Amino acid sequence: MTAETEHSAARNPGPDWGYAFLRLADKVLPEWLYRPLRGLGTAIAMAGMREQRRHSRDYLRLMLGREPGVREVFRHFFAFEESLMLKLRIANGRHIPCEYTEGAQDFRRWMEGGGPVFLGTMHVGVSDMLGFQIGGRGEHSVYLVRQQVGNSHDTERLERRFGGRVKFIWVNRPQDMIFALKDAAATPHAIAMQCDRVEHSARVEAFQFLGARRLFPFTIYHLALIFRRPVLLSVGVTKACGTSELHAAPVFELREGERREEALARARVHFQGFLTQVEVLLRRDPYVWYNFTALNPVAGQDMPSSR
Amino acid sequence: MADPLCTRLKHIIVQTLRLEDITPEQIKDDEPLIGSGLALDSIDALELVVQLEKEFGIKISSSEESKQALASVSSLAAFIRTRVEPSRLPS
Repeated sequence: MTAETEHSAARNPGPDWGYAFLRLADKVLPEWLYRPLRGLGTAIAMAGMREQRRHSRDYLRLMLGREPGVREVFRHFFAFEESLMLKLRIANGRHIPCEYTEGAQDFRRWMEGGGPVFLGTMHVGVSDMLGFQIGGRGEHSVYLVRQQVGNSHDTERLERRFGGRVKFIWVNRPQDMIFALKDAAATPHAIAMQCDRVEHSARVEAFQFLGARRLFPFTIYHLALIFRRPVLLSVGVTKACGTSELHAAPVFELREGERREEALARARVHFQGFLTQVEVLLRRDPYVWYNFTALNPVAGQDMPSSR
Repeated sequence: MADPLCTRLKHIIVQTLRLEDITPEQIKDDEPLIGSGLALDSIDALELVVQLEKEFGIKISSSEESKQALASVSSLAAFIRTRVEPSRLPS
């Protein structure tokens, strides 16, 4: 399959008019009516998503330590739906205040001062919107590395809203991606990417996560070495009061005169620390893990060594 | 006699990408660099392109150009020759 056909084949679930409909309903319906309707819509959608249901069940079984019930699987789907709704609301102009948790000082410093960094995040809570939140701040521009799908109307709208301060680099066009990344790295702007799904990732390594050594993308650190940029890893979750809470690892910076292998060894410790942080969050609230795909594969005995 | 530019490029490839199990002499001029042959991945290609730009003062700015340039060592040499002053090339 070529990158072009892959692009046209990959699609978000739901009809093309889905986002427009949700936006319109959000404008005209009161929340006390709209929320149960969204729940009903989620239940109908969930019924048609056999694969995603299976992955949700597998993940929840691991997290809860028992067979999850239908209500729990629904709760997982509904939490994801609500995060999409929040994304649409941000696209429509809503501002979600963000609180920094302890340990996120480096991220906060970067938010205040800017500068060229690689931002890594995961499909957890409202992390997907992180780039847009950053793009929404006047002084920041951000390139988002993402998979392009056939009906990605939410990203198109968010891109339009932030007037060019948010730009996309499409990961499913690998040849073009190299040059887009190179051009982006020549600017003083941040480059944000997801660090949890192994597909499309050139370099993967094994880390301890949810009870096993699992493969995770490690490309962000190789890019940091190539372009001499720091790495900031973070995830965001919403709180009951409607604000978001940002959790971040301390910044990973290259040291002057450091050998490549030493830097990569430090990078592995850095990423493991972040994964442990994410695992604590997920143990607290398992429903904010928005990968409705197979959990990261457990590493085999013959792991390819990373150059 | 070996082309000095091709020889230099092979050294750059081995050094930049830390190919421990291969020597510059083992790389054939017409061996594909990406996919088959040396089997470089996209991060390798990116690292190589960045290093070549630094070394020769060239700009490889599109996937079409890179596909053409990174096809093999000899095509890479030909690509560089069309963009670099002869005085900057190894003799």
